[in-house]
Amino acid sequence: MPGYKSIDRIRTVTAGTFDRLVLKGDGPIVVEFMSYGCAHCGAIEPDLQQVAEMVESTEKIFRVNIALDRELADVYKIEGTPTLIMFLNGEVVGREEGPSPEVSNLLAVVSQPYVS
Amino acid sequence: MQSRNQTAPVLLFNDECGVCRSIAGWVKKQVQAGAGTTCIVVRPIGQDPEELRALNQGLNIWDAYATIHLLMPDGSMKLGGEAVAEVLRDLRGTGWFAWTFGISVFGIRPFQLILNLAYAVLADVRPVFGCESCGTPSAWVRPIRWIVKRAASLFGGSHHPSPSPHFTSLPGRGRPSQAHHI
Repeated sequence: MPGYKSIDRIRTVTAGTFDRLVLKGDGPIVVEFMSYGCAHCGAIEPDLQQVAEMVESTEKIFRVNIALDRELADVYKIEGTPTLIMFLNGEVVGREEGPSPEVSNLLAVVSQPYVS
Repeated sequence: MQSRNQTAPVLLFNDECGVCRSIAGWVKKQVQAGAGTTCIVVRPIGQDPEELRALNQGLNIWDAYATIHLLMPDGSMKLGGEAVAEVLRDLRGTGWFAWTFGISVFGIRPFQLILNLAYAVLADVRPVFGCESCGTPSAWVRPIRWIVKRAASLFGGSHHPSPSPHFTSLPGRGRPSQAHHI
């Protein structure tokens, strides 16, 4: 999985920082609910890093490790990984479960909910 | 004097995969029974990328989950079939044949190649044995998995298809029926 190892553009949020960084955060915010043991999460990781770089001026992308933060997984009724949830001003505006691992698809997934 | 952890090889295993857990459990038992020449530390990969990096600067958590890693005391890492060979060499019960993995013929190690292939096959078929977190099975494994799932459902097993082929359902949180989703 080349291309994602040097800089991690996706910051990890926890139950302790979720409120401040996501719910009270400004602008479009995408949260990936994932687990390192999930091969599908590993498959989208390099592409999601690329997308995070492409949208960094307009959107923030965070990750929640549901293996550690089960409480957040319960709150957002996460049934599996990876699940992307798009937030705007603390409100959920989009959700995608198991996106296919392609940059173009992921870019569409994280951008579409914010297109007015 | 160095601590035991610093001098022993560390075998990392995927704790979310039943096949990997079983193999790691067997190795651990052999080590605890004193059936090895050196003491291998067997530990799950876990969920903390920084903790792993503390074990070895070059270790990436995604890579650790993708392939078996054996961290050597000298700072090097053995991966896949090479890691398996090293572990087998160390255990007394398997050391008697594991020396064959080092045999080289014209620069090719035929037994190591066979072991690498066996490891690749085992890694590929893990989803057949119910390891959902192991990802999308390779093309050659898909028909086998389909047959296994069909057989399981015929004999009373429950299988709820994931909404996407790129999705790992959490245990106990599958979708019993659409009626539950309002």
